[in-house]
This record gives sequence, structure tokens and C-alpha cells, in this order.
Amino acid sequence: MSIDWVAYLIVAGITLLSTLVVVGLYSTGVRLSAAASDRDPGQAAGNRLTLAKAGAYACFTVCGAAVLFGIYLIVPALHG
Amino acid sequence: MVALVIALALFFDFTNGFHDTANAMATPSATGAIKPKNAVALAAVLNLVGAFLSTEVAKTISGGIIREGEGGIQITPVMIFAGLLGAVIWNLITWLLGLPSSSSHALFGGLIGAAVVGAGYGAVDYSVLMSKVILPAFIAPAIALSVAFLATRLAYSITRRHGQEGDKLPRRRGGFRYAQIFSSSLVALAHGTNDAQKTMGVITLVLISGGFQAVGTGPVFWVVAACAVAIAAGTYAGGWRIIRTMGTGLTDVKPAQGFAAETSTAAAILTSTQLGMALSTTQVASGSVIGSGLGRKGAEVRWGTARRIAGGWLLTLPAAAVMGAAAAFTASTGPVGVTIDGVLGLAIILFIFLWSRRNRVGHDNAVSNIDNAGAAVRINKRKARSRGRAAAGRSAATTTTTKAKESSK
Repeated sequence: MSIDWVAYLIVAGITLLSTLVVVGLYSTGVRLSAAASDRDPGQAAGNRLTLAKAGAYACFTVCGAAVLFGIYLIVPALHG
Repeated sequence: MVALVIALALFFDFTNGFHDTANAMATPSATGAIKPKNAVALAAVLNLVGAFLSTEVAKTISGGIIREGEGGIQITPVMIFAGLLGAVIWNLITWLLGLPSSSSHALFGGLIGAAVVGAGYGAVDYSVLMSKVILPAFIAPAIALSVAFLATRLAYSITRRHGQEGDKLPRRRGGFRYAQIFSSSLVALAHGTNDAQKTMGVITLVLISGGFQAVGTGPVFWVVAACAVAIAAGTYAGGWRIIRTMGTGLTDVKPAQGFAAETSTAAAILTSTQLGMALSTTQVASGSVIGSGLGRKGAEVRWGTARRIAGGWLLTLPAAAVMGAAAAFTASTGPVGVTIDGVLGLAIILFIFLWSRRNRVGHDNAVSNIDNAGAAVRINKRKARSRGRAAAGRSAATTTTTKAKESSK
């Protein structure tokens, strides 16, 4: 009997990569939004606050796109 | 006979639904990302939608494990009936014990047992069995565990914040709750597209073998609709015992962990399905929960519970096979045997149901201490609350163990 070990490795690899990317991005988003919501930002930090907020939203958006991609994969009608 | 098999198949679909609610919704319920009742409602809707999305899997229900069709054996409705009976009873037993076990393995096991009795050992393709069921059973949790472990580590190291004096700044990890809802919804949707189809496949097979449907055609609409409704109803009924095991029995899940675990589950299932090597949702999800427990400092994994779950996995296929075989053996004596099977099966199902009433686990007590967690983004109370939750989790774990001991007597 032949067992396709390479297929398992590929599954493990892709799973690891995609999970780490999504979790990493979302965590970055959480961290940035936490930074943005700090009280008493000190002087001249206003710009950085906006930047952090924008970064957080960017991260969340990419994660949302990942969810949409997941739905795309689940629904066979979308990719034939 | 055909009507009987269809009814049993739909009932299997129902048990499948409530067995597997936990895969998607245990961690978000445990962290309070979503109220338990809403969680199962969401999962039910997604399963319903998922069942209509695709009928690809339905065409090869036994996945080639049983040599059916040309050159192989003739699968009879009686065999399918016996196999389903074995699968249903095993599913109910594991539910009573709160064990998340794979419904597909139960179905395969039941069918294998019935086929061996009906057509001899040659009916089963053992190399397919090995590469499609047994090996993945070890690999799926291993992959999920390590991925979830690394993802949890990553999430915590990214969100760790210190001020200049080394004091802790607010991390606002509560934000992970929103993400949990999405990642677990993906799992529920994927589950619907896969699992409802197995039942559709079974029913279609019976209809074809009974001569009610042309050979080589796919599931007809009413079959798809009935399966979708059955799995959604099962999901909504909620296997609260299993949700309790997965959500609080294995480890105490925090939002970031839950998100890491659910994302690993979703990623593993989507990847493996895409590559044509379906891993068991249940095994992936359990592995992820354990991995995320190992990944967070201060979280303990209750290995006793993990061992019981692993034991359940090892038993699922042989136990369902034995029950399927016994049912097939009885049924092979003719209509009387089938009647005996039906009556006995119904009696066992009723008995398990009545037994479960002795200590009911419902949406209100499956995961305790979460009623106030919805507003838990406030940081200052967090320590006290998590201590309370840990204690509740421990007591929940002990009750499940004693219950298991009771019933094994």
C-alpha cells in the first residue's frame, strides 16, 4: 500500500502558514488598536495614534479577506 | 425497508449534527464570544446553508473503503440499515459520555461491520481504510495541535505590551472575541458542506438500490432538503455534553487561544479538503484546543480528559463495526431479524435518552460562569474572573469523569 506522506506534509505546511499569517495579522491588529486606545498618549503622539488605528483596521480587513477566501473555498459553485 | 433506512439515515444525520456542534462552537461559547444559545443557532443556520452548497462528497459515501459496484459486492439496504444502526448507537453512547468522536468514523465503522458480515472480509479495502481513516486519525490531531500551539504563542507574544517601566499595559485581547465568531462560523459552514452529504449519499444509495432512482444520478432535491434540515435541527439541539468537554474540559480557553484554535481548525480542514484528503473535523478541533492550551502560559491541559477522548477515537471504528456487524447478522435472518434490530435499536436509543435525563446538560449549564463574560472586555476584573472560570472548569471536568465511571460500571 502506498501512503502519500508528501500530501500530509503539504497539508501541515499550508495549514501552519495560513494559520500563523491570519493569527499574526489579527494579533497585530489587536495590539495596534490597544495602542491606539491608550489614554495619555504624550505629546506629538497624535499622528502615531491615527497611524496605529489605520494599521489596526488594515490588519482586520486582511483577516476579513481571509475569511471571504475561506468561504470561496467552501462553496464549490464559486470555483468550479 | 427503504423508508426505514431513510428514517434511520436522517436520524443519524441528526446525531451527527448535535455531536459536531462542539467542533465549531465550543470555544466561542466557553470564552463568551457568543452566547451558547446563539452559538448553536448560528451553527445550525450555517450547517443548513452548507448542506445546500455542494453534493460532491455525496457521490462517494464510503470513500472507496467498501468495494462496492462493479467487480465488488452488492450493497443491500439491509447492510446499510445495520451499518447506520451501529453508527447511531455509537454516536449516542459517546455523546452520553461527552466524548467528541468522529461521526464519519462511526458511519464507516458501522458500514464496514455490516459489509463484512454481509459479504465477507473481502468487502473491505484495507489499504484505503488505512490511508483514509486510520492514519489521518493520528495525523489530524498532531497537525492541529502543533499549529494551534504555535499560533497561540504567536498571538500572545504579539499582543504582550509593557510600558517603559516594565508595567503591564492593557492588551485588550478581548478583541479576539469578534474574530472567534468568524473563524468558528467557517468551521460550521465547512462541516455542513461535508457531513450532511454523507447522509445524502447513504439515502441516494438506498434509493438507487431499491430501484426508486436511476443509477448514476445525484441526490434529488427532497433528499438534500431533508438532510439539511436534519443536520441543522441536530446542531440546534446542541450536544451540550460535548461542548462542555471541548470548551472547558480540556483546558480553560481564553479569547486569543480560542481564536488561534478555531483558525487552525478552519485552516486544516479547508486545506485538507482542497487537497482531497478530508481530515475529521472532530479530531482536528480537539487537537487544536489542546494545542492552544499548551501554548498559553498558565493554562493547564487536563490530560485525563484528553486520554479519554483519544480512547474514544480508537474505539469508534471497531465499536461501531461490531455493532454494525451484530445488527447485520441479526438482520440477515430475514424480516424478523430486521424487526428485532429495529425494536432493539429503538430501545437502546430510548434508554440512552432516558439515562441522559438523570443529569441534564443544557445551554444554561454547559459552560458556567460565562453569563457576565460578554461585557468582559474590562481588564481589571479579569484575574478574578478567570480564577472563577478555572475552578468551574475543573468541577465540570470532575463531574464528567465521575459520570463516565458511573456508566462504565
